[in-house]
Amino acid sequence: MATFNEKKTCSQRMENFGRFVWNSDTGELMGRTLVKWVYISLYYVAFYLVVIGLFALALFSLMQTLSPYEPDYQDRLQSPGVTLRPNNFGEEGLEICFNISEPKTWAPYVSTLHSFLSAYNTSLQNATNRNCEHMTGYYPKKTFSGPDDTTYSCQFTREMLGNCSGLCDSNFGYDTGKPCLIIKMNRIINFCPGNETDPPSVDCTATENGELGEVEYFPSNRSFPLYYFPYYGKKAQPNYTNPLVAVKLLNIKNNTELSVVCKIVGKGISSDNPHDPYEGKVSFKLKIET
Amino acid sequence: MGKADKYDLYSVEMDKQENGDLDVKIKKKQKGVKKKEKLESMKREMDIDDHELTVEELEQKYQTSVTKGLKSSVAADILMRDGPNELKPPKGTPEYIKFARQLAGGLQCLMWVAAVICLIAFAIQCSQGDLTSDDNLYLAITLIAVVVVTGCFGYYQEFKSTNIIASFKNLVPQQATVMRDGDKTQINANQLVAGDLVEIKGGDRVPADIRIITAQGCKVDNSSLTGESEPQSRTPEYTHESPLETRNIAFFSTMCLEGTATGIIINTGDRTIIGRIASLASGVENEKTPIAIEIEHFVDIIAGLAVFFGFTFFVVAMVIGYPFLRAMVFFMAIVVAYVPEGLLATVTVCLSLTAKRLARKNCVVKNLEAVETLGSTSVICSDKTGTLTQNRMTVSHLWFDNQIHSADTTEDQSGQSFDQTSDTWRALSKVVSLCNRATFKAGQENVPVPKKIVIGDASETALLKFSEITIGNVKEYRDRFRKVTEMPFNSTNKFQLSIHEMSDPLDLRYLLVMKGAPERILERCSTIMIKGQELPLDEQWQEAFQTAYMDLGGLGERVLGFCHLYLNAKEYPRGYNFDIEEMNFPTSGLCFAGLISMIDPPRATVPDAVMKCRTAGIRVIMVTGDHPITAKAIAASVGIISEGSETVEDIAARLRIPVEQVNKRDARACVINGGQLKDMTSEELVETLKMHPEMVFARTSPQQKLIIVESCQKLGAIVAVTGDGVNDSPALKKADIGVAMGIAGSDAAKNAADMILLDDNFASIVTGVEQGRLIFDNLKKSIAYTLTKNIPELAPYLIYITASVPLPLGCITILFIELATDIFPSVSLAYEKAESDIMHLKPRNPRRDRLVNEALAVYSYFQIGVIQSFAGFTDYFTVMAQEGWYPLYCLGLRANWENDKLQDLEDSYGQEWTFSQRLYQQYTCYTVFFVSIEVCQISDVLIRKTRRLSVFQQGFFRNKVLVTAIVFQLCLGCFLCYCPGMPNVFNFMPIRFQWWLVPLPYGILIFVYDEIRKLGIRQHPGSWWDKELYY
Repeated sequence: MATFNEKKTCSQRMENFGRFVWNSDTGELMGRTLVKWVYISLYYVAFYLVVIGLFALALFSLMQTLSPYEPDYQDRLQSPGVTLRPNNFGEEGLEICFNISEPKTWAPYVSTLHSFLSAYNTSLQNATNRNCEHMTGYYPKKTFSGPDDTTYSCQFTREMLGNCSGLCDSNFGYDTGKPCLIIKMNRIINFCPGNETDPPSVDCTATENGELGEVEYFPSNRSFPLYYFPYYGKKAQPNYTNPLVAVKLLNIKNNTELSVVCKIVGKGISSDNPHDPYEGKVSFKLKIET
Repeated sequence: MGKADKYDLYSVEMDKQENGDLDVKIKKKQKGVKKKEKLESMKREMDIDDHELTVEELEQKYQTSVTKGLKSSVAADILMRDGPNELKPPKGTPEYIKFARQLAGGLQCLMWVAAVICLIAFAIQCSQGDLTSDDNLYLAITLIAVVVVTGCFGYYQEFKSTNIIASFKNLVPQQATVMRDGDKTQINANQLVAGDLVEIKGGDRVPADIRIITAQGCKVDNSSLTGESEPQSRTPEYTHESPLETRNIAFFSTMCLEGTATGIIINTGDRTIIGRIASLASGVENEKTPIAIEIEHFVDIIAGLAVFFGFTFFVVAMVIGYPFLRAMVFFMAIVVAYVPEGLLATVTVCLSLTAKRLARKNCVVKNLEAVETLGSTSVICSDKTGTLTQNRMTVSHLWFDNQIHSADTTEDQSGQSFDQTSDTWRALSKVVSLCNRATFKAGQENVPVPKKIVIGDASETALLKFSEITIGNVKEYRDRFRKVTEMPFNSTNKFQLSIHEMSDPLDLRYLLVMKGAPERILERCSTIMIKGQELPLDEQWQEAFQTAYMDLGGLGERVLGFCHLYLNAKEYPRGYNFDIEEMNFPTSGLCFAGLISMIDPPRATVPDAVMKCRTAGIRVIMVTGDHPITAKAIAASVGIISEGSETVEDIAARLRIPVEQVNKRDARACVINGGQLKDMTSEELVETLKMHPEMVFARTSPQQKLIIVESCQKLGAIVAVTGDGVNDSPALKKADIGVAMGIAGSDAAKNAADMILLDDNFASIVTGVEQGRLIFDNLKKSIAYTLTKNIPELAPYLIYITASVPLPLGCITILFIELATDIFPSVSLAYEKAESDIMHLKPRNPRRDRLVNEALAVYSYFQIGVIQSFAGFTDYFTVMAQEGWYPLYCLGLRANWENDKLQDLEDSYGQEWTFSQRLYQQYTCYTVFFVSIEVCQISDVLIRKTRRLSVFQQGFFRNKVLVTAIVFQLCLGCFLCYCPGMPNVFNFMPIRFQWWLVPLPYGILIFVYDEIRKLGIRQHPGSWWDKELYY
């Protein structure tokens, strides 16, 4: 291979590369003449147009098969997630940690709660949603069809949260060391938690041998009324608001860190999935300093 | 040419260094140095003066005695000092370097670089406090693991074949007869030391460099040193100042053909002449294999594309507004994603599969990459003896009854025999059987005649075997005709005779039988036997004899004449005292029986193999140390010189004009002997090689072999060289692929070679060529298959960066595609049958026909790969949409999607998802993307079966391994998807069945599109379509 296997010097390589970029003998630019470049470009344009067309067609027909009211599958949403407000994340997850005497440590929590609850203002709820308190059992079963088939949603107002509504105590008890926390359950279409007689309810406990002390729940039966379920989706219930349960911790030992877990108990809600810490329960750390 | 001229190109310079090591340098010397100067330099270089010393001086020098040998204690001391008497395997490649070489190929380097980039990216991420993803670390570890594991595999493969070669070496430890303390003993030859008094006899290999003290008719074959197998006599006399020329030195590893001799060892092991030549060969650096060059070229392409892509998206990321470091990590990830992790394993496995296949066909490959080299070979420089021929003299023609008869020369005696009814044949066969000193070695009753070991020289062996086959048990026959006396062949008389009693006890006559050089035999004859009748040998018969003699000699055969005489019972009664010295019996007026000619016949398979090479566009050039006439005859009979081809001399003879007037271009064939070659400049040689397609080089020296190889390489050819002797080893090393003979080959040749033919059969080379070409084609297919999926693996990441969708395909999943599911199918392409008759194509042009060319990369990446990407994205968006995330909603979703503090992200339907739920949804996307790639890759492997033919022409299910591989791939895919526990271990989710079907239309599209492509290529060869789309 004496002739073509010789070690090329750098300048030779550059020269070869230069000739590749522009070969004046054959009029080739990067190995092709200009006409050839036009041909091959046109070919690729045509090729990509066809493939992209097919892709668009595939997506279009996919969208045609979808129902606007409910997803085809809910494989990942077997059990609802649970979230906490205020949702402040520390190093190891949710963390509520403040000093009673220093308002700026708890002011963010208060404002989070206020802004979160603004969607539950009575005026707003009255304007958009219906009062369902008279209803027993689940929300009526419905099917939806057509382009704009909607139904009413049940209202959930701040008042239902009593002392934690932020109406009577605009600091949600943070200034007195009796903080309010709000537990929310994630929406899942067509999901009916609990059963006809036994609605899903919240239960907060301390873990790791801590002592949670006295806890007050709002609404006082600490449960989510059945008429909020099932949820029929954004399209059918555009104004749906999640029911909430507020937890007021009345007797927290100050200056010690406490691990708390709030579970939602009810049929169809699992809270023991090791791979999802927010499924059916929410855990957080609590520390109130004085 | 004289032997001294043979060392004119390379000389050995040996300087004793302080630590006692010999420093061997190769120095290319100018041709045409004056002979005397050369001889002087030779003498100095060889540093041997023992041949000039008297016996007494020798005894003194080596502290030995020519009668009693060394003292055992002294011998032990010297052994301690000099080491054992064996050639050290060439140092320079310790095992760890061999292993390191496995880790430093083109692809390996690419992967090392990628691993380093991954680690850097990981470090950047760590420094940014992003501890969520260890993907880069995993990737780096995997990349390193792949390199190391394939390195181990390749090393193991080479180690195994080295072992096969090594096992040949020490099969039989050589024994030597040595005199020590006055006692004659047999010891292992490697225990010999300088000063030992050894005895050699016919059939022995000379155990070391020996100064001859006494000799009786000793002849040696120096072919392992010089390439010429002409027997040379060895005597105690000092005949020449050059140690190589003088007769009183016998060299290590040469054969003693006949006679006996005793001598004092003057050099052992690596200090012998042969040892020095062997170490000289190890100084010639190995050429890079064509496949290594191809892979480097391919790595250049990959690296170029990777950097191009990476840079483009780096710029895009910066424009979109990612921070610099983040964009840098993207850049690195893209570059790494371009590295085809599975390719290294695929190439290694494909090559070793072929190596294994070759090994079954008796070609052992020392270096995996050499597997392909034979496929690229365009010139084979073949040795004659042993490779093209059977390496045994065989009776090929007989002349009696004024007619030339052909004998059967096939290895297995399957050929036609001649008419054996004539009385002349009976007489001739009697002479052949009786006037012969060769005998079969005892204890070989069950061995077929051609394989029996014979004690005797080559001609006599041939005649003995010939009579054994034609007339039966020669030993019994000889017993019936009791031998009274005999006179062995000698170079002055040029005949051999013996006198026998008749088998018939009543017949009291003696029978004198004689054989020898035909003209000498004819001189002694007065009658000739024709059809059993003794006719006077008149001019007419003399002329007939001459014609026959010329004819047979013209065939390059060794011709012997046979005659006999029944001695008169009255003059020579029973008990008559025949005296060889006095010649008291008639040695003229005999009756001429016939001529027998012998040749080392070509192997039966060779003409066919040469023909195949020829149709495969490979030039076969014969390079031999033998005579031009013999070489030409063999070349003609095996087809190296084809029928109807003429040399310049042939044309001159036919047209009856002087050689000078012949137009050289008319002559297809050309026979050049070493003498002519010596006077040619290298330009002339190149010119000659260009002018005559059929070349035979005769009487060449080892250095000339090297020149021939170099000249062929200058013509741009990839040259294979076959050889067996130590003298061939420099040429073997210089060649692109050196092929050594496993049986006849010397260790030095085997060390220098890249490939070893275990059966010494030229036909095996053809197998090698075929396999080499096939693996080149199939590697191309494998690489095309492997490269294709790079794009669907890369595209998700690009879309993830630019469109901020949830990541459609994860790093671990990519590794599973690269290193698990797709390995078997890509390897299975190595089992694909050739599309067309590859042995009818020209060898590839190493400058034009690349392993990976632009068309292959572009077609794989930007057409098939793109279709596969769209398949993946279709499936991805399907899964997302059906689970609640509309395609348009996905765009720009990345930041929220990946926010692990957001436990209630809303989907298109208003449902709220926790982070884990989204993560498992992402794993589902990985899985469907994986499945899409798999489904498309099944289509891909099917289209890669052929490059030109339709898959239907090639046969869908003919490659059983490929079918198995597809089934395996599907099963593995299913296992990964549906095995419990997979989601949390390898991020595979059990997906719904219909998501397997989503990419199917794209798979069909790939198949149909490729069939259309191939149809266009077949229908319009040479068109724009063909040029742009054929890879």
